Amino acid sequence: MFRKVLIANRGEIALRVINACKEMGIRTVAVYSEADRNSLHVKFADEAICIGPPPSKDSYLNIPSVISAAEIAGADAVHPGYGLLSENANFAEVCRASNIKFIGPPPEVTRMMGEKSTARQTMKNAKVPILPGSDGILESEDAALATAERIRYPIILKAVAGGGGRGMRIVRNKDELPGLYAQASTEAQNAFGNGALYMEKFIERPRHIEFQVLADEHGSVMSMGERECSIQRRHQKLIEEAPSLQVSPKLREKLGKTIERSLRDIGYWNAGTIEFLMDEDGEIYFIEMNTRIQVEHCVTEMVTGVDLVKAQLRIAAGERLKDIVPEVPEIQGHAIECRINAEHPEKFTPSPGKITVYNLPGGNGVRVDTAQYAEGVVPQYYDSLIAKLICHGVNREEAMNKMQRALSQFVVEGIHTSIPLHQRIFADEDFRAGKFDTKFMERFLGDRRKA
Amino acid sequence: MAAEDLQQLRELVEFLKANGIAEFDMERTDLKVRLKFAGLQPAAPAMDLSHLASAIAAQSAGASAVAAQAPVAVPATLPGATPVAAAAAAPAAEAGPEAGAHIVKSPIVGTFYAAPSPDADPFVRLGDRVSNGQVLCIVEAMKLMNEIESDFAGEIVKVYVNSGQPVEYGQALFAIK
Repeated sequence: MFRKVLIANRGEIALRVINACKEMGIRTVAVYSEADRNSLHVKFADEAICIGPPPSKDSYLNIPSVISAAEIAGADAVHPGYGLLSENANFAEVCRASNIKFIGPPPEVTRMMGEKSTARQTMKNAKVPILPGSDGILESEDAALATAERIRYPIILKAVAGGGGRGMRIVRNKDELPGLYAQASTEAQNAFGNGALYMEKFIERPRHIEFQVLADEHGSVMSMGERECSIQRRHQKLIEEAPSLQVSPKLREKLGKTIERSLRDIGYWNAGTIEFLMDEDGEIYFIEMNTRIQVEHCVTEMVTGVDLVKAQLRIAAGERLKDIVPEVPEIQGHAIECRINAEHPEKFTPSPGKITVYNLPGGNGVRVDTAQYAEGVVPQYYDSLIAKLICHGVNREEAMNKMQRALSQFVVEGIHTSIPLHQRIFADEDFRAGKFDTKFMERFLGDRRKA
Repeated sequence: MAAEDLQQLRELVEFLKANGIAEFDMERTDLKVRLKFAGLQPAAPAMDLSHLASAIAAQSAGASAVAAQAPVAVPATLPGATPVAAAAAAPAAEAGPEAGAHIVKSPIVGTFYAAPSPDADPFVRLGDRVSNGQVLCIVEAMKLMNEIESDFAGEIVKVYVNSGQPVEYGQALFAIK
């Protein structure tokens, strides 16, 4: 097992990793920007090194600074968390060259699965169902028209190098295609320096279903079940749950086995998540893979009893999956997570600043992952997530009731948070009945404006 | 605490006092020792610490197979739980010759070296007059030697760090007046 791990991240996930390390007797090194000098992850790590000024690009994303910190601290391994450098294959390569173990998949695999059209092709070759679409990059507008005829409208054009919704256009008929093709390509060129596009079938009311996997470095892969993350606003997840009411045990097992086989084929290591869209008929299609631990890993932990971050550390230290997770975990009960963001609950404007009151809910089956504290400051330089509130119950009904109770006791003053928004969602009839898709938030917020 | 342990602890304390050690930290298993001497410490500690390490190792009951690896005596500047860190990172000069001086801070994370090579003279010494842009030291990061230039002209009134010492971003290196 590693003697010392450097956590190349901040906020709640940095603390999450530090916690796992402490529980395993591993020394921890935190890195921080000047804006995070008084952060909880800095306070609770055994050592901490300032790596730069507030902007991420000069600190948390600055590979030489992070590696240099690992060197002077004598860290054996680096845990990249999520976001930041976690899916940066160059960073993983520099770690490898510097003899520091990167806790994640090999850089070659990260690179392969990070490029969306390559990932699609890889999964297709492994017989994972993928959304019908172009086989790779669209060579021309004519190729786009032909592909759209084959897979049938509506379709969506997406930037090959893209993300976050840019370089994307939905096309509902062939007359719209030429104009939208040009727009998407130009936007992608400007945003990512690469105007290449690919095409996928567009599902009007999809559900977002993702599968958690663990893979050791000896060829074993295990699916840890699914999560449903359909409650999203502008492609940012707000609420996640495990299991999904839409996934039958049979589908879970079948898809689990297919995923396990595909990841064994590509030589995947460590934790990862495979994302799917489910259409109105319950058909499920691969969209992308995240080659890291995710924000919402907690709901899987609650229903399986497996500590995923500890599993990551153990896998990276060379342990075998059969020693970490001896049997396929049974899904017990239901867990839901609300992402508590420092933003106005209606206007969604960011709300950095000093927290004056911070009362966390507790109780049976209530978990809060946070790196904020009373008198703590939420800086304006980073994402707005300040806490994750996770509730676990014997079934979805109980989990929802616990969440409502917990939200009512989560008191934050000094900044705005999304807590009131979550409270309204949990009071919504459709949400409670499980009747939603990724367009839920649009409708929910749209209705509120009309009300 | 057992009488025997208390006796050993007393001996340890006497040892630390006799050698002017202001701060002391220790890990077990793969023993790592961290010391801070009162005042400016020499670049290479004069004493042989392996003896101290084995003495400490022998005391730790049940510590199986203490690594033969020699303890690393690093003048403590890595911030964390110790208060030393805060002082090192603070931009304001304290009272004394550095009062009101401009502090040159490390722009990168790495290892500080006062001279261009181990047997060469240091770039600058206490009392030297330096100009804006003059190379003051090297901070090595990822095997690259980065020359750190002064952003101020004046006299070196304080040197905060020693060769071989790890430094973080923003850590005080020199005070110039």
